[in-house]
Amino acid sequence: MSGDTLTLTLRIWRQNGPNEAGGFREYRLSGVSTHMSFLEMLDVLNEQLIESGEEPVAFDHDCREGICGMCSLMINGQAHGPDKATTTCQLHMRQFADGDTITIEPWRATAFPVVRDLVTDRSAFDRIISAGGYVSVNTGNAPDGNSIPVPGHQQEKAMDAAACIGCGACVAACKNASASLFVSAKVSQLAILPQGSQERTSRVLDMVNQMDEEGFGHCTNTYECEAACPVEVSVSNIARMNREYIRASIVAGE
Amino acid sequence: MDLLCKICSWPACLLARLPGIGPIVKMCFTSIGQKILMALTGLALVGFLVTHLAGNLLLFKGEEQFNTYAENLHSLGGALVVAEVGLFGAFAVHMCLAISTTAMSRRARKSSYAEQQSKRDDVILGGGGASRFMLITGVLIGAFLVLHVADMKFNLRDKLGITQFEHGDEESGNLYLHVRQVLRDPVTRVVYLVALLGLGIHLSHGISSAAQTLGLHHRRWNVLIRGGGMLLAWAIALGFLSIWVLGFLK
Ligand code: HEM
Ligand code: FES
Repeated sequence: MSGDTLTLTLRIWRQNGPNEAGGFREYRLSGVSTHMSFLEMLDVLNEQLIESGEEPVAFDHDCREGICGMCSLMINGQAHGPDKATTTCQLHMRQFADGDTITIEPWRATAFPVVRDLVTDRSAFDRIISAGGYVSVNTGNAPDGNSIPVPGHQQEKAMDAAACIGCGACVAACKNASASLFVSAKVSQLAILPQGSQERTSRVLDMVNQMDEEGFGHCTNTYECEAACPVEVSVSNIARMNREYIRASIVAGE
Repeated sequence: MDLLCKICSWPACLLARLPGIGPIVKMCFTSIGQKILMALTGLALVGFLVTHLAGNLLLFKGEEQFNTYAENLHSLGGALVVAEVGLFGAFAVHMCLAISTTAMSRRARKSSYAEQQSKRDDVILGGGGASRFMLITGVLIGAFLVLHVADMKFNLRDKLGITQFEHGDEESGNLYLHVRQVLRDPVTRVVYLVALLGLGIHLSHGISSAAQTLGLHHRRWNVLIRGGGMLLAWAIALGFLSIWVLGFLK
Protein backbone atom coordinates (compact mmCIF):
# COMPACT_ATOMS: atom_id res chain seq x y z
CA MET A 1 0.00 0.00 0.00
CA SER A 2 1.26 3.46 -0.80
CA GLY A 3 1.13 5.08 2.61
CA ASP A 4 -1.98 5.69 4.62
CA THR A 5 -3.51 8.66 2.89
CA LEU A 6 -5.22 9.12 -0.43
CA THR A 7 -5.76 11.98 -2.79
CA LEU A 8 -9.10 11.70 -4.49
CA THR A 9 -11.21 13.40 -7.10
CA LEU A 10 -14.86 13.42 -6.07
CA ARG A 11 -17.62 13.90 -8.64
CA ILE A 12 -20.62 14.72 -6.51
CA TRP A 13 -24.22 15.36 -7.55
CA ARG A 14 -25.29 18.81 -6.33
CA GLN A 15 -28.91 19.90 -6.38
CA ASN A 16 -30.32 22.80 -4.40
CA GLY A 17 -33.86 21.58 -4.02
CA PRO A 18 -36.45 19.07 -5.19
CA ASN A 19 -37.48 21.04 -8.24
CA GLU A 20 -34.15 22.50 -9.21
CA ALA A 21 -31.87 21.20 -11.88
CA GLY A 22 -28.83 19.40 -10.52
CA GLY A 23 -25.42 18.55 -11.86
CA PHE A 24 -22.05 17.12 -10.99
CA ARG A 25 -19.36 19.16 -9.26
CA GLU A 26 -15.77 18.01 -8.95
CA TYR A 27 -13.73 18.35 -5.77
CA ARG A 28 -10.14 17.43 -5.03
CA LEU A 29 -9.57 16.00 -1.58
CA SER A 30 -6.16 15.08 -0.23
CA GLY A 31 -4.97 13.58 3.02
CA VAL A 32 -7.82 11.10 3.20
CA SER A 33 -6.92 8.41 5.71
CA THR A 34 -7.53 4.86 4.52
CA HIS A 35 -8.99 4.13 7.96
CA MET A 36 -11.81 6.62 7.46
CA SER A 37 -15.31 5.51 6.64
CA PHE A 38 -16.84 6.87 3.46
CA LEU A 39 -19.04 9.25 5.43
CA GLU A 40 -16.09 10.51 7.47
CA MET A 41 -14.38 11.28 4.20
CA LEU A 42 -17.43 13.34 3.21
CA ASP A 43 -17.31 15.05 6.61
CA VAL A 44 -13.76 16.13 5.88
CA LEU A 45 -14.83 17.43 2.49
CA ASN A 46 -17.70 19.36 4.06
CA GLU A 47 -15.42 21.01 6.61
CA GLN A 48 -13.25 22.23 3.78
CA LEU A 49 -16.28 23.45 1.87
CA ILE A 50 -17.57 25.35 4.91
CA GLU A 51 -14.16 26.95 5.43
CA SER A 52 -14.05 28.08 1.85
CA GLY A 53 -17.58 29.49 2.13
CA GLU A 54 -19.30 26.90 -0.07
CA GLU A 55 -22.46 25.01 0.88
CA PRO A 56 -21.61 21.61 2.34
CA VAL A 57 -22.81 18.48 0.54
CA ALA A 58 -26.09 17.22 2.04
CA PHE A 59 -26.18 13.47 2.65
CA ASP A 60 -28.27 11.19 4.86
CA HIS A 61 -26.87 9.33 7.83
CA ASP A 62 -27.80 8.50 11.38
CA CYS A 63 -26.39 5.51 13.24
CA ARG A 64 -23.19 5.18 11.25
CA GLU A 65 -22.98 1.60 12.37
CA GLY A 66 -24.92 -0.14 9.62
CA ILE A 67 -28.27 -0.62 11.29
CA CYS A 68 -30.53 2.35 10.62
CA GLY A 69 -30.62 2.36 6.83
CA MET A 70 -30.35 6.13 6.49
CA CYS A 71 -27.09 6.36 4.58
CA SER A 72 -27.75 5.90 0.91
CA LEU A 73 -25.23 6.69 -1.76
CA MET A 74 -24.66 5.44 -5.25
CA ILE A 75 -20.86 5.16 -5.33
CA ASN A 76 -19.27 4.60 -8.74
CA GLY A 77 -22.59 3.20 -9.93
CA GLN A 78 -22.99 0.75 -7.08
CA ALA A 79 -25.46 1.11 -4.24
CA HIS A 80 -23.45 1.55 -1.01
CA GLY A 81 -20.22 1.22 -2.97
CA PRO A 82 -18.09 -1.72 -4.01
CA ASP A 83 -18.26 -3.86 -0.83
CA LYS A 84 -20.79 -6.67 -0.54
CA ALA A 85 -23.13 -6.67 2.44
CA THR A 86 -22.01 -3.23 3.57
CA THR A 87 -23.77 0.08 4.11
CA THR A 88 -22.16 3.31 2.98
CA CYS A 89 -21.36 4.22 6.58
CA GLN A 90 -19.47 0.95 7.01
CA LEU A 91 -17.53 1.31 3.79
CA HIS A 92 -13.90 2.19 4.36
CA MET A 93 -11.65 4.33 2.26
CA ARG A 94 -9.10 1.52 2.06
CA GLN A 95 -11.32 0.13 -0.67
CA PHE A 96 -10.13 2.96 -2.90
CA ALA A 97 -6.77 3.70 -4.40
CA ASP A 98 -4.73 6.87 -4.43
CA GLY A 99 -5.74 9.08 -7.35
CA ASP A 100 -9.16 7.49 -7.82
CA THR A 101 -12.10 9.45 -9.14
CA ILE A 102 -15.24 8.61 -7.20
CA THR A 103 -18.68 9.40 -8.61
CA ILE A 104 -21.31 9.92 -5.92
CA GLU A 105 -25.01 10.14 -6.79
CA PRO A 106 -28.29 9.98 -4.89
CA TRP A 107 -30.65 6.99 -5.27
CA ARG A 108 -32.58 7.59 -8.45
CA ALA A 109 -36.23 6.62 -8.53
CA THR A 110 -39.40 8.56 -9.17
CA ALA A 111 -40.69 7.31 -5.83
CA PHE A 112 -37.55 8.65 -4.08
CA PRO A 113 -37.44 12.32 -5.10
CA VAL A 114 -34.20 14.17 -4.41
CA VAL A 115 -34.57 16.59 -1.51
CA ARG A 116 -31.14 18.12 -1.80
CA ASP A 117 -27.78 16.95 -3.16
CA LEU A 118 -27.51 13.29 -2.13
CA VAL A 119 -30.56 13.23 0.13
CA THR A 120 -33.72 11.55 -1.14
CA ASP A 121 -37.18 11.36 0.35
CA ARG A 122 -37.86 7.71 1.07
CA SER A 123 -41.18 8.12 2.85
CA ALA A 124 -42.75 5.96 0.12
CA PHE A 125 -41.36 3.02 2.11
CA ASP A 126 -43.11 4.26 5.25
CA ARG A 127 -46.41 4.46 3.41
CA ILE A 128 -45.99 0.88 2.18
CA ILE A 129 -45.41 -0.24 5.77
CA SER A 130 -48.48 1.69 6.92
CA ALA A 131 -50.53 -0.08 4.28
CA GLY A 132 -50.03 -3.50 5.88
CA GLY A 133 -46.62 -4.10 7.39
CA TYR A 134 -47.91 -4.62 10.89
CA VAL A 135 -49.83 -7.02 13.10
CA SER A 136 -53.03 -5.69 14.68
CA VAL A 137 -53.12 -7.23 18.11
CA ASN A 138 -53.38 -5.67 21.53
CA THR A 139 -49.94 -6.15 22.95
CA GLY A 140 -50.93 -6.08 26.62
CA ASN A 141 -48.43 -7.72 28.93
CA ALA A 142 -45.46 -9.50 27.47
CA PRO A 143 -46.71 -13.01 26.66
CA ASP A 144 -44.82 -16.09 27.68
CA GLY A 145 -42.02 -16.63 25.21
CA ASN A 146 -43.02 -20.17 24.34
CA SER A 147 -46.80 -19.82 24.35
CA ILE A 148 -46.81 -19.85 20.53
CA PRO A 149 -44.35 -22.43 19.28
CA VAL A 150 -42.46 -21.43 16.13
CA PRO A 151 -40.16 -23.99 14.53
CA GLY A 152 -36.53 -22.97 14.36
CA HIS A 153 -36.24 -22.85 10.60
CA GLN A 154 -39.31 -20.59 10.40
CA GLN A 155 -37.78 -18.25 12.94
CA GLU A 156 -34.62 -18.14 10.88
CA LYS A 157 -36.45 -17.27 7.69
CA ALA A 158 -38.50 -14.58 9.40
CA MET A 159 -35.39 -13.11 11.00
CA ASP A 160 -33.52 -13.11 7.70
CA ALA A 161 -36.34 -11.12 6.13
CA ALA A 162 -36.63 -8.86 9.18
CA ALA A 163 -32.98 -7.90 8.78
CA CYS A 164 -34.09 -5.38 6.13
CA ILE A 165 -33.14 -1.88 7.27
CA GLY A 166 -35.20 -0.13 4.59
CA CYS A 167 -32.26 1.75 3.06
CA GLY A 168 -33.60 1.58 -0.49
CA ALA A 169 -30.49 0.08 -2.08
CA CYS A 170 -32.67 -2.56 -3.75
CA VAL A 171 -34.66 0.13 -5.53
CA ALA A 172 -31.51 2.07 -6.36
CA ALA A 173 -29.75 -0.94 -7.87
CA CYS A 174 -32.73 -2.28 -9.82
CA LYS A 175 -32.88 -1.32 -13.47
CA ASN A 176 -36.64 -0.95 -13.07
CA ALA A 177 -36.48 0.89 -9.74
CA SER A 178 -38.61 -1.89 -8.31
CA ALA A 179 -39.24 -2.11 -4.58
CA SER A 180 -39.96 -5.83 -4.73
CA LEU A 181 -37.15 -6.89 -2.41
CA PHE A 182 -38.13 -4.40 0.28
CA VAL A 183 -41.85 -5.14 0.10
CA SER A 184 -41.26 -8.89 -0.06
CA ALA A 185 -39.06 -8.75 3.06
CA LYS A 186 -41.78 -6.88 4.95
CA VAL A 187 -44.49 -9.25 3.70
CA SER A 188 -42.40 -12.32 4.50
CA GLN A 189 -41.21 -11.48 7.98
CA LEU A 190 -44.84 -11.41 9.12
CA ALA A 191 -46.40 -14.05 6.85
CA ILE A 192 -43.98 -16.70 8.11
CA LEU A 193 -44.85 -16.22 11.77
CA PRO A 194 -48.12 -17.36 13.37
CA GLN A 195 -48.82 -13.90 14.79
CA GLY A 196 -48.52 -12.32 11.38
CA SER A 197 -50.16 -15.00 9.29
CA GLN A 198 -53.65 -13.99 10.44
CA GLU A 199 -53.62 -10.92 8.23
CA ARG A 200 -51.52 -12.28 5.41
CA THR A 201 -54.23 -11.96 2.76
CA SER A 202 -55.08 -8.30 3.18
CA ARG A 203 -51.46 -7.46 3.98
CA VAL A 204 -49.95 -8.60 0.71
CA LEU A 205 -52.76 -7.10 -1.37
CA ASP A 206 -52.56 -3.72 0.39
CA MET A 207 -48.79 -3.50 0.41
CA VAL A 208 -48.45 -4.44 -3.25
CA ASN A 209 -51.14 -1.94 -4.11
CA GLN A 210 -49.30 0.80 -2.24
CA MET A 211 -46.02 -0.22 -3.87
CA ASP A 212 -47.57 0.29 -7.31
CA GLU A 213 -49.23 3.52 -6.25
CA GLU A 214 -45.91 4.98 -5.14
CA GLY A 215 -44.63 4.48 -8.67
CA PHE A 216 -42.03 1.78 -8.24
CA GLY A 217 -41.27 -0.45 -11.22
CA HIS A 218 -41.90 -4.15 -11.72
CA CYS A 219 -39.58 -7.05 -10.99
CA THR A 220 -37.60 -8.53 -13.89
CA ASN A 221 -35.78 -11.05 -11.72
CA THR A 222 -32.36 -9.59 -12.42
CA TYR A 223 -31.40 -10.00 -8.75
CA GLU A 224 -29.29 -6.85 -8.60
CA CYS A 225 -31.28 -6.01 -5.46
CA GLU A 226 -30.02 -9.03 -3.59
CA ALA A 227 -26.43 -8.26 -4.56
CA ALA A 228 -26.76 -4.63 -3.45
CA CYS A 229 -28.57 -5.35 -0.19
CA PRO A 230 -26.33 -4.47 2.77
CA VAL A 231 -27.99 -7.14 4.93
CA GLU A 232 -28.28 -9.74 2.17
CA VAL A 233 -32.04 -10.14 2.09
CA SER A 234 -32.69 -13.00 -0.33
CA VAL A 235 -34.81 -12.89 -3.48
CA SER A 236 -36.51 -16.02 -2.16
CA ASN A 237 -38.66 -13.45 -0.36
CA ILE A 238 -39.83 -12.10 -3.71
CA ALA A 239 -40.93 -15.59 -4.71
CA ARG A 240 -42.72 -15.88 -1.38
CA MET A 241 -44.42 -12.51 -1.87
CA ASN A 242 -45.62 -13.68 -5.29
CA ARG A 243 -46.95 -16.90 -3.81
CA GLU A 244 -48.69 -14.91 -1.08
CA TYR A 245 -50.06 -12.64 -3.73
CA ILE A 246 -51.37 -15.46 -5.92
CA ARG A 247 -52.93 -17.13 -2.89
CA ALA A 248 -54.55 -13.88 -1.75
CA SER A 249 -55.96 -13.09 -5.20
CA ILE A 250 -57.13 -16.49 -6.26
CA VAL A 251 -58.01 -18.69 -3.34
CA ALA A 252 -58.26 -16.68 -0.17
CA GLY A 253 -61.31 -14.72 0.81
CA GLU A 254 -61.38 -12.38 3.75
CA MET B 1 -50.27 6.81 -22.91
CA ASP B 2 -51.81 7.11 -19.44
CA LEU B 3 -55.11 8.28 -20.90
CA LEU B 4 -55.11 5.37 -23.30
CA CYS B 5 -54.52 3.00 -20.40
CA LYS B 6 -57.47 4.52 -18.55
CA ILE B 7 -59.84 4.12 -21.49
CA CYS B 8 -58.70 0.56 -22.12
CA SER B 9 -59.05 -0.39 -18.49
CA TRP B 10 -62.65 0.80 -18.22
CA PRO B 11 -64.36 -2.49 -19.14
CA ALA B 12 -61.91 -4.34 -16.93
CA CYS B 13 -62.78 -2.06 -14.02
CA LEU B 14 -66.38 -3.18 -14.37
CA LEU B 15 -65.27 -6.82 -14.45
CA ALA B 16 -63.26 -6.26 -11.29
CA ARG B 17 -66.50 -5.52 -9.45
CA LEU B 18 -67.90 -8.96 -10.24
CA PRO B 19 -68.08 -11.25 -7.26
CA GLY B 20 -65.88 -14.31 -7.53
CA ILE B 21 -63.51 -13.38 -10.32
CA GLY B 22 -63.23 -9.74 -9.19
CA PRO B 23 -59.97 -10.16 -7.25
CA ILE B 24 -58.43 -12.08 -10.14
CA VAL B 25 -59.26 -9.31 -12.60
CA LYS B 26 -57.91 -6.72 -10.18
CA MET B 27 -54.69 -8.69 -10.04
CA CYS B 28 -54.10 -8.01 -13.73
CA PHE B 29 -53.63 -4.31 -12.96
CA THR B 30 -50.84 -4.71 -10.45
CA SER B 31 -47.16 -5.07 -11.25
CA ILE B 32 -47.03 -8.56 -9.77
CA GLY B 33 -50.26 -9.69 -11.42
CA GLN B 34 -48.98 -8.54 -14.80
CA LYS B 35 -45.72 -10.39 -14.33
CA ILE B 36 -47.62 -13.52 -13.35
CA LEU B 37 -49.65 -13.32 -16.54
CA MET B 38 -46.51 -12.71 -18.56
CA ALA B 39 -44.93 -15.75 -17.00
CA LEU B 40 -47.98 -17.92 -17.68
CA THR B 41 -48.37 -16.79 -21.28
CA GLY B 42 -44.60 -17.03 -21.78
CA LEU B 43 -44.53 -20.60 -20.55
CA ALA B 44 -47.56 -21.46 -22.69
CA LEU B 45 -45.65 -20.10 -25.69
CA VAL B 46 -42.64 -22.22 -24.70
CA GLY B 47 -44.96 -25.23 -24.69
CA PHE B 48 -46.11 -24.33 -28.17
CA LEU B 49 -42.53 -23.88 -29.36
CA VAL B 50 -41.59 -27.36 -28.16
CA THR B 51 -44.43 -29.02 -30.07
CA HIS B 52 -43.87 -26.80 -33.09
CA LEU B 53 -40.20 -27.74 -33.13
CA ALA B 54 -40.96 -31.43 -32.74
CA GLY B 55 -43.31 -31.29 -35.71
CA ASN B 56 -40.94 -29.27 -37.84
CA LEU B 57 -38.01 -31.58 -37.25
CA LEU B 58 -39.95 -33.97 -39.49
CA LEU B 59 -38.63 -31.80 -42.31
CA PHE B 60 -35.43 -33.80 -41.91
CA LYS B 61 -37.38 -37.03 -42.36
CA GLY B 62 -38.35 -36.06 -45.86
CA GLU B 63 -41.17 -34.81 -47.98
CA GLU B 64 -43.68 -37.53 -47.32
CA GLN B 65 -43.42 -37.64 -43.55
CA PHE B 66 -43.61 -33.89 -43.24
CA ASN B 67 -46.56 -33.48 -45.55
CA THR B 68 -48.47 -36.29 -43.85
CA TYR B 69 -47.88 -34.58 -40.52
CA ALA B 70 -49.18 -31.31 -41.93
CA GLU B 71 -52.23 -33.01 -43.42
CA ASN B 72 -53.01 -34.70 -40.13
CA LEU B 73 -52.68 -31.42 -38.32
CA HIS B 74 -55.07 -29.73 -40.74
CA SER B 75 -57.57 -32.54 -40.46
CA LEU B 76 -58.13 -31.34 -36.90
CA GLY B 77 -60.25 -28.63 -38.48
CA GLY B 78 -62.09 -26.60 -35.87
CA ALA B 79 -59.87 -27.69 -33.02
CA LEU B 80 -56.84 -26.34 -34.84
CA VAL B 81 -58.55 -22.99 -35.34
CA VAL B 82 -59.31 -22.83 -31.62
CA ALA B 83 -55.67 -23.62 -30.82
CA GLU B 84 -54.49 -20.95 -33.26
CA VAL B 85 -56.75 -18.34 -31.73
CA GLY B 86 -55.50 -19.33 -28.26
CA LEU B 87 -51.92 -19.04 -29.46
CA PHE B 88 -52.55 -15.63 -30.95
CA GLY B 89 -54.22 -14.60 -27.68
CA ALA B 90 -51.21 -15.70 -25.65
CA PHE B 91 -48.90 -13.69 -27.91
CA ALA B 92 -51.15 -10.64 -27.72
CA VAL B 93 -51.42 -10.75 -23.92
CA HIS B 94 -47.69 -11.36 -23.50
CA MET B 95 -46.77 -8.46 -25.77
CA CYS B 96 -49.28 -6.00 -24.30
CA LEU B 97 -48.06 -6.78 -20.80
CA ALA B 98 -44.44 -6.46 -21.91
CA ILE B 99 -45.21 -2.94 -23.07
CA SER B 100 -47.26 -2.16 -19.98
CA THR B 101 -44.61 -3.34 -17.49
CA THR B 102 -41.81 -1.68 -19.43
CA ALA B 103 -43.75 1.60 -19.39
CA MET B 104 -44.26 1.18 -15.65
CA SER B 105 -40.54 0.86 -15.11
CA ARG B 106 -39.65 3.73 -17.39
CA ARG B 107 -41.90 5.92 -15.26
CA ALA B 108 -40.26 4.55 -12.12
CA ARG B 109 -36.87 6.02 -13.03
CA LYS B 110 -37.01 9.12 -15.12
CA SER B 111 -33.46 10.35 -14.65
CA SER B 112 -30.79 7.75 -14.98
CA TYR B 113 -27.46 7.30 -13.25
CA ALA B 114 -24.28 8.77 -14.65
CA GLU B 115 -22.63 5.47 -13.85
CA GLN B 116 -24.00 2.03 -13.08
CA GLN B 117 -22.20 -1.19 -12.24
CA SER B 118 -23.49 -4.60 -11.30
CA LYS B 119 -22.76 -5.91 -7.82
CA ARG B 120 -23.56 -9.46 -8.84
CA ASP B 121 -20.66 -11.73 -9.49
CA ASP B 122 -22.45 -14.43 -11.44
CA VAL B 123 -23.58 -12.66 -14.59
CA ILE B 124 -21.80 -12.87 -17.89
CA LEU B 125 -22.93 -9.48 -19.11
CA GLY B 126 -22.95 -6.76 -16.49
CA GLY B 127 -26.25 -5.39 -15.33
CA GLY B 128 -28.37 -8.51 -15.44
CA GLY B 129 -27.27 -10.54 -18.43
CA ALA B 130 -30.04 -11.52 -20.78
CA SER B 131 -32.69 -9.77 -18.70
CA ARG B 132 -31.54 -6.45 -20.13
CA PHE B 133 -32.49 -7.57 -23.62
CA MET B 134 -36.00 -8.88 -23.00
CA LEU B 135 -37.85 -6.12 -24.78
CA ILE B 136 -35.54 -5.86 -27.77
CA THR B 137 -35.34 -9.62 -28.27
CA GLY B 138 -39.12 -9.80 -27.79
CA VAL B 139 -39.62 -7.22 -30.51
CA LEU B 140 -37.29 -9.18 -32.80
CA ILE B 141 -39.35 -12.32 -32.21
CA GLY B 142 -42.53 -10.35 -32.90
CA ALA B 143 -41.17 -9.00 -36.18
CA PHE B 144 -40.03 -12.46 -37.18
CA LEU B 145 -43.49 -13.84 -36.43
CA VAL B 146 -45.14 -11.43 -38.82
CA LEU B 147 -42.89 -12.54 -41.67
CA HIS B 148 -43.05 -16.17 -40.64
CA VAL B 149 -46.83 -16.42 -40.52
CA ALA B 150 -47.20 -14.33 -43.67
CA ASP B 151 -44.88 -16.65 -45.60
CA MET B 152 -45.73 -20.04 -44.18
CA LYS B 153 -49.43 -19.72 -43.66
CA PHE B 154 -50.65 -17.15 -46.13
CA ASN B 155 -47.83 -17.10 -48.69
CA LEU B 156 -48.38 -13.37 -48.62
CA ARG B 157 -45.07 -12.26 -50.07
CA ASP B 158 -45.80 -14.41 -53.09
CA LYS B 159 -49.32 -13.12 -53.46
CA LEU B 160 -48.03 -9.56 -53.31
CA GLY B 161 -45.57 -10.46 -56.04
CA ILE B 162 -42.49 -9.77 -53.93
CA THR B 163 -41.18 -13.29 -54.30
CA GLN B 164 -41.76 -16.19 -56.66
CA PHE B 165 -42.35 -19.31 -54.61
CA GLU B 166 -43.62 -21.77 -57.22
CA HIS B 167 -44.98 -24.39 -54.89
CA GLY B 168 -47.99 -22.48 -53.67
CA ASP B 169 -49.18 -22.29 -50.09
CA GLU B 170 -50.12 -24.95 -47.63
CA GLU B 171 -53.70 -25.25 -48.89
CA SER B 172 -53.05 -25.78 -52.57
CA GLY B 173 -49.43 -26.77 -52.94
CA ASN B 174 -46.76 -28.98 -51.50
CA LEU B 175 -45.99 -27.61 -48.04
CA TYR B 176 -42.65 -29.37 -47.78
CA LEU B 177 -41.35 -27.80 -50.97
CA HIS B 178 -42.87 -24.47 -50.01
CA VAL B 179 -41.04 -24.44 -46.68
CA ARG B 180 -37.75 -25.44 -48.30
CA GLN B 181 -38.16 -22.62 -50.75
CA VAL B 182 -39.01 -20.01 -48.16
CA LEU B 183 -35.92 -21.05 -46.23
CA ARG B 184 -33.74 -20.36 -49.28
CA ASP B 185 -34.92 -16.78 -49.54
CA PRO B 186 -32.19 -14.31 -48.48
CA VAL B 187 -34.56 -12.10 -46.45
CA THR B 188 -35.78 -15.19 -44.60
CA ARG B 189 -32.22 -16.26 -43.87
CA VAL B 190 -31.25 -12.98 -42.22
CA VAL B 191 -34.49 -12.42 -40.30
CA TYR B 192 -34.73 -15.99 -39.05
CA LEU B 193 -31.12 -16.11 -37.88
CA VAL B 194 -31.37 -12.88 -35.92
CA ALA B 195 -34.75 -13.74 -34.44
CA LEU B 196 -33.76 -17.26 -33.41
CA LEU B 197 -30.63 -16.02 -31.65
CA GLY B 198 -32.89 -13.44 -30.02
CA LEU B 199 -35.25 -16.21 -28.99
CA GLY B 200 -32.41 -18.08 -27.31
CA ILE B 201 -31.44 -14.98 -25.35
CA HIS B 202 -35.07 -14.16 -24.50
CA LEU B 203 -35.76 -17.61 -23.17
CA SER B 204 -32.42 -18.04 -21.42
CA HIS B 205 -33.68 -15.43 -18.99
CA GLY B 206 -37.40 -15.94 -19.56
CA ILE B 207 -37.88 -19.52 -18.47
CA SER B 208 -36.16 -19.33 -15.09
CA SER B 209 -37.57 -15.84 -14.59
CA ALA B 210 -41.07 -17.19 -15.09
CA ALA B 211 -40.42 -19.84 -12.45
CA GLN B 212 -39.35 -17.20 -9.93
CA THR B 213 -42.31 -14.98 -10.81
CA LEU B 214 -44.67 -17.87 -10.17
CA GLY B 215 -43.04 -18.40 -6.78
CA LEU B 216 -40.94 -21.43 -7.67
CA HIS B 217 -37.83 -20.80 -5.66
CA HIS B 218 -36.03 -23.24 -3.46
CA ARG B 219 -32.39 -23.37 -2.47
CA ARG B 220 -32.22 -26.99 -3.45
CA TRP B 221 -33.83 -26.53 -6.86
CA ASN B 222 -32.66 -23.10 -8.01
CA VAL B 223 -29.58 -24.39 -9.77
CA LEU B 224 -31.69 -26.96 -11.55
CA ILE B 225 -34.37 -24.42 -12.52
CA ARG B 226 -31.84 -21.90 -13.81
CA GLY B 227 -29.66 -24.47 -15.52
CA GLY B 228 -32.64 -26.30 -16.93
CA GLY B 229 -34.18 -23.05 -18.16
CA MET B 230 -30.97 -22.12 -19.94
CA LEU B 231 -30.68 -25.58 -21.44
CA LEU B 232 -34.26 -25.67 -22.66
CA ALA B 233 -33.90 -22.16 -24.07
CA TRP B 234 -30.92 -23.01 -26.22
CA ALA B 235 -32.28 -26.45 -27.09
CA ILE B 236 -35.30 -24.71 -28.59
CA ALA B 237 -33.28 -22.00 -30.32
CA LEU B 238 -30.67 -24.38 -31.71
CA GLY B 239 -33.38 -26.86 -32.69
CA PHE B 240 -35.03 -24.24 -34.86
CA LEU B 241 -31.65 -23.08 -36.12
CA SER B 242 -31.01 -26.61 -37.40
CA ILE B 243 -34.02 -26.10 -39.64
CA TRP B 244 -32.62 -22.75 -40.68
CA VAL B 245 -29.47 -24.63 -41.74
CA LEU B 246 -31.69 -26.88 -43.88
CA GLY B 247 -32.21 -23.82 -46.08
CA PHE B 248 -28.57 -24.08 -47.15
CA LEU B 249 -28.60 -27.76 -47.98
CA LYS B 250 -29.23 -29.33 -51.39
C1 HEM C 1 -42.13 -17.28 -28.87
C2 HEM C 1 -42.38 -16.19 -28.29
C3 HEM C 1 -42.13 -15.83 -26.83
C4 HEM C 1 -41.91 -16.63 -25.75
C5 HEM C 1 -41.87 -18.13 -25.70
C6 HEM C 1 -41.72 -15.75 -24.60
C7 HEM C 1 -41.48 -16.17 -23.31
C8 HEM C 1 -41.25 -15.35 -22.23
C9 HEM C 1 -41.11 -15.76 -20.86
C10 HEM C 1 -41.19 -17.19 -20.35
C11 HEM C 1 -40.89 -14.64 -20.11
C12 HEM C 1 -40.64 -14.58 -18.62
C13 HEM C 1 -41.76 -14.02 -17.82
C14 HEM C 1 -41.30 -13.68 -16.43
O1 HEM C 1 -40.26 -13.07 -16.26
O2 HEM C 1 -41.98 -14.02 -15.48
C15 HEM C 1 -40.86 -13.54 -21.00
C16 HEM C 1 -40.62 -12.24 -20.64
C17 HEM C 1 -40.69 -11.17 -21.50
N1 HEM C 1 -41.15 -11.17 -22.80
FE1 HEM C 1 -41.46 -12.82 -23.89
N2 HEM C 1 -41.83 -14.46 -25.02
C18 HEM C 1 -42.10 -14.47 -26.36
C19 HEM C 1 -42.31 -13.39 -27.18
C20 HEM C 1 -42.24 -12.08 -26.78
C21 HEM C 1 -42.56 -10.98 -27.62
C22 HEM C 1 -43.06 -11.06 -29.07
C23 HEM C 1 -42.34 -9.88 -26.89
C24 HEM C 1 -42.57 -8.51 -27.50
C25 HEM C 1 -42.48 -7.39 -27.06
C26 HEM C 1 -41.87 -10.28 -25.57
C27 HEM C 1 -41.51 -9.45 -24.54
C28 HEM C 1 -41.11 -9.87 -23.28
C29 HEM C 1 -40.56 -9.02 -22.25
C30 HEM C 1 -40.31 -7.52 -22.33
C31 HEM C 1 -40.31 -9.84 -21.14
C32 HEM C 1 -39.66 -9.42 -19.85
C33 HEM C 1 -40.58 -8.97 -18.83
C34 HEM C 1 -39.79 -8.70 -17.61
O3 HEM C 1 -38.88 -9.47 -17.32
O4 HEM C 1 -40.07 -7.74 -16.95
N3 HEM C 1 -41.83 -11.64 -25.54
N4 HEM C 1 -41.10 -13.98 -22.29
S1 FES D 1 -26.00 5.55 8.83
FE1 FES D 1 -27.24 4.01 9.76
S2 FES D 1 -26.94 2.39 8.35
FE2 FES D 1 -25.53 3.83 7.61
